[in-house]
Amino acid sequence: MKRRKVDLADAPVTFAKGVDDRFQAATPLRGLLNKVFPDHWSFLIGEIALFSFIILLLTGTFLTLFFDPSMKEVAYDGSYPALRGTMMSAAFESSLNLSFEVRGGLFMRQMHHWAALLFMASIVVHMARVFFTGAFRKPREINWVIGVLLFLLGFFAGFTGYSLPDDGLSGTGLRIASAIMLTIPVIGTWLSAAVFGGEFPGEFIIGRFYIAHVLIIPGILLALIAAHLGIVFKQKHTQWPGPMRTNENVVGERMFPRYAMKQGGFFMAVFGVVALMAGLFQINPIWLFGPYRASEVSSASQPDFYVMFMDGLVRLMPNWQIYIPIGNGYSIPPMFWPAVVGLGALFTLPMAYPWLEARKLKDKRIHHLLERPRDNPERVGIGMMAFSFWFIATISGANDVIADKFHISLNAMTWAGRIGLVLIPPLAYYISVRICLGLQQHDRQVLAHGVETGIIKRLPNGQFVEVHQPLGPVDEHGHPIPLEYAGWVVPKKMNRLGALAPAVKGFFYPVEKPAEIPVSPAVGGPVKKEEIKSGR
Amino acid sequence: MTAVHHAGEAGTPPTDVNDPHLTRFDIVKEGLRRDDIEIVTYESQFHGQNSKAEKRVVRNISLLFAIAGLLTLAFLVFYIIWPWQFELGHTMSDYYTPILGITLGLGLLALGFGILAWAKKLLPHELSIQQRHGDPSSDEDRLITGQTMMYVADELGVQRRPLLKGAIALGLAPVGLAAAAPLVGGLIEDPHKGDLPMMYTTGFNPEHNGGKPVRLTREDGSPIRPEDVSTGGQMTVFPGIPHGATNHWADSPTLLIHLRADDAAETRKNADADKNGRNRGSMWGNYVAYSKICTHAGCPASLYEQQTNRLLCPCHQSQFLITDNAQPVFGPATRRLPMLPLTVDEEGFFVAASDFKDTVGPDFWERP
Amino acid sequence: MTSDTPARRRARVFSRRRGAPSRARRRLGAAVRMIAALALAGGVYTAFTPGAFAEDNVQLSAAALEGKSLYDTSCISCHGRDGQGVEDRGPSLIGVGSASVEFQVGTGRMPMTRQEAQAEEKKPQFNEDQTKQLGQYVQELGGGPQVPDGPLVDDIEAKPESLARGGELFRINCTSCHGFGGGGGALSSGKFAPSLHDPTPDQIYAAMLSGPQNMPVFGDNQLSPDEKRSIITYIQLQLQEDKDPGGLFNLGRYGPSTEGVAIFLVGIVLLVFTSLWIAGKS
Repeated sequence: MKRRKVDLADAPVTFAKGVDDRFQAATPLRGLLNKVFPDHWSFLIGEIALFSFIILLLTGTFLTLFFDPSMKEVAYDGSYPALRGTMMSAAFESSLNLSFEVRGGLFMRQMHHWAALLFMASIVVHMARVFFTGAFRKPREINWVIGVLLFLLGFFAGFTGYSLPDDGLSGTGLRIASAIMLTIPVIGTWLSAAVFGGEFPGEFIIGRFYIAHVLIIPGILLALIAAHLGIVFKQKHTQWPGPMRTNENVVGERMFPRYAMKQGGFFMAVFGVVALMAGLFQINPIWLFGPYRASEVSSASQPDFYVMFMDGLVRLMPNWQIYIPIGNGYSIPPMFWPAVVGLGALFTLPMAYPWLEARKLKDKRIHHLLERPRDNPERVGIGMMAFSFWFIATISGANDVIADKFHISLNAMTWAGRIGLVLIPPLAYYISVRICLGLQQHDRQVLAHGVETGIIKRLPNGQFVEVHQPLGPVDEHGHPIPLEYAGWVVPKKMNRLGALAPAVKGFFYPVEKPAEIPVSPAVGGPVKKEEIKSGR
Repeated sequence: MTAVHHAGEAGTPPTDVNDPHLTRFDIVKEGLRRDDIEIVTYESQFHGQNSKAEKRVVRNISLLFAIAGLLTLAFLVFYIIWPWQFELGHTMSDYYTPILGITLGLGLLALGFGILAWAKKLLPHELSIQQRHGDPSSDEDRLITGQTMMYVADELGVQRRPLLKGAIALGLAPVGLAAAAPLVGGLIEDPHKGDLPMMYTTGFNPEHNGGKPVRLTREDGSPIRPEDVSTGGQMTVFPGIPHGATNHWADSPTLLIHLRADDAAETRKNADADKNGRNRGSMWGNYVAYSKICTHAGCPASLYEQQTNRLLCPCHQSQFLITDNAQPVFGPATRRLPMLPLTVDEEGFFVAASDFKDTVGPDFWERP
Repeated sequence: MTSDTPARRRARVFSRRRGAPSRARRRLGAAVRMIAALALAGGVYTAFTPGAFAEDNVQLSAAALEGKSLYDTSCISCHGRDGQGVEDRGPSLIGVGSASVEFQVGTGRMPMTRQEAQAEEKKPQFNEDQTKQLGQYVQELGGGPQVPDGPLVDDIEAKPESLARGGELFRINCTSCHGFGGGGGALSSGKFAPSLHDPTPDQIYAAMLSGPQNMPVFGDNQLSPDEKRSIITYIQLQLQEDKDPGGLFNLGRYGPSTEGVAIFLVGIVLLVFTSLWIAGKS
């Protein structure tokens, strides 16, 4: 047999050939390397959620190595003196131990919790971005639904995680969760008994929540996130309108190397911010809360912020109970409406929104270009209405802390929330619609008449007029010919036309190369149409 | 560096990639063409190679990487040497977590910004356009796929064989149910089972104490004499049965309140005037005991205001008026807190004359 | 009236100067002499007013007498003569004991500036000695709970179990209003439970004993002096003096509400700025 020469330089080529022989990878890989992504800051918010999720998986795996999901009563004998000898569940003891007996364990726990808050917070911001820019329209409705489901799953992942340490605060949360289950007509008591394995709190709940928190929910989250990203990948990202950008193309940069590097760098930045927060800000000091006892509670008992809207709605709900005088009598407690019906509505209505809007606008087209919020005032109004509702509910979830720290009457806070919940959303709708219309009108005005120059001219008849810089060509009288609105930023200041250097250099506003156009209105030379669409 | 403003349109002729004169970038461009991508702008951010500006950027990025390395190294060092075991007071170990966070956080930020700066400042400016090809499948393809699926159904022939249809329904439904049965069956608990259904009894039911009235005890199990609670004071009490103060009896914690004489008189007047009579005669002297478990969501409603005689629940701010049968006067609670009938046994300790006469804890559908 | 006249006179001087800034009050020596004339006038005034109670309560100790004269200038308008109380203005002080004075006056809650939902904590108007004198007076008027002498914080080297016991009692009896972190909390209609980060052991002890305002009374039968000391030990060592191990900032230990604010104001803001920079043209 002939001895073959091994050439190290050829090794990668041989290897690649081997891979392609088996998996036919070259063509798809080329497509992947070359894929073009649009570049805009608002497209990066969703990545914060993705990266926080990865941090959650990493830190969470670490925590499972030390956590014991058992409700067996033990006496604490660790290094935290103020609980030594106290009876507590093994779950709480192991949470204390992983905070105090594991080197760096407290840091990991705090990273996990901050990453969870960041995950939910960035989902909220990302969702607002997608909503207000119309990125959920056909063909992306399904991805919007998946996004809403991700928030819902994050909500339950967060709540189950918050319950695991079995501290004073999380036990109170569980107690409320059981009460919410009890409010459900007909099946309430059965549901609660099934979840808790009998009467609250029972001996199973931590173990059950544990398996939900570390296996079932993350598994579904992972699958949905994969689907979410896969759909984005398949459908290609939306983009803003602008020069060269059409509904049929994507304008941006290729995935490799720039886009991938930006993603990698951003991941490190997200990781860094989470680590920094975990070091600087103490979160969920369970050792102060003590083990859960049904008789103990703290003022300012709240869930994490993403559950707070529900708690706020429960706080604001008036005490309207429905009695059904049949037999022994049945009742529907008031908490049923905000906590079960409200939660359901807050998730199903957004899911249905893409189809509702398309139906109303009779819009069956495919949209790959985003819409500036002002160009769809109706949607902005509805979005602001929903957002203000969520915001007031969330604030009301902390109304006792606000009442205490700002010396407001607690009862007044509750009433303010009740009234605000009814009055503010319509007001927000009205105001935001008016603002959008005003902005639209201003865009049209500038396109029709040009940019205000700040130069006041006195006409022979004594009248004063402001000189406008036309954005486009002028007719024979020197009047600008109105331009069509292109769905993108209209320059409204002379600086944006290059009359002056930008006031802020670089960071928020890109330093743009001054376009060479005459400033003098008398000349009023035609400006290329691209200029109108300039900007990011 | 190459500055390309090439006017390639879809349909530009393909390049022969085996042509030895091609540069690597030419081949890349051919690949882009095949993926319907056009590079519109691709230019260096610097004038000339090794320009001063470029060197500065390279230096800055290297510096960021060096900082990242130093800080993460510092993280490792502090992770190992810094005292980390908890100590009471203001000690070095209180800075363990902050130091870890600051070194690792800033280190990762430096690394991240190094990579970002590299991508942003060092790589050439690029503007590429890719065609989406988001068109749906052709009508023909749709037709073919649709017909294929219909044909699959035809092949199975369920439509033609009604017996099979019924057999499937009959045969497979139980299989599905059987799959779900262990889960549902295992989890289901009858909340109303037994002589002492859990929803309606607490640890103060004499049945749990061999038929004798249950004493009120402190959390450590010691019984309580009337003089143990001062006027204007309150005490959290538990049923004096084994494990009475644990979470096993989560609905039993009760608030024993010693009212001032005039408040007690008013409370007694209201309790005796109680419509359904449940609270009649439940007070003992100036003492009254209410369930601590809020009737709204089950939190301990235990913020006792001894001047206004209100009980506030810290979870949802329901407020109950102690002097009026713990009637809710504010917030989402609809139902008053149940009153525990009090008396004193022959040894002078508080006992519950009976269990609560009203259901303790949050409301539910079938509560009578 | 003979032997204690000088003391009363001095007390009168104190009370006359009460309105002045407290800084000045400390530079007493010279000031006393300077306004000796006023003091004399005060003495004359006292001689002409019906001095009923001085004669009635001959058994008042020297400290109590000084307290009484403070009382007669600062407290009598609401709490009435001899601490009998005035309807709709101030409750009777018979039987409230010196513990109550210790808390109310020592934390500046009394004298109240106006009637409101709850007396606010202010800069104390009386110094420690004067508070003790007032307390003594109220104590001798009608008895009542007293803060014991001796240390109120246990030495946890000698009694290590005290801290954990204190924590346990704290969570059963105190956290519902004052919070797990001791930061205080809201009560109904504008009332609130104050933060526990500032009060001294004496004040905490006095508060438990006397049940000021809407706080329930925790008499010695309910929480023995030992148990009270344990609670104070927990409050002082764990809540007041222990530096939080979980970070440079504890976000007020309010739990999720401030954490939620932090994630948006710090986390989201930092990362949105970063993404602005990433996507901005360089």
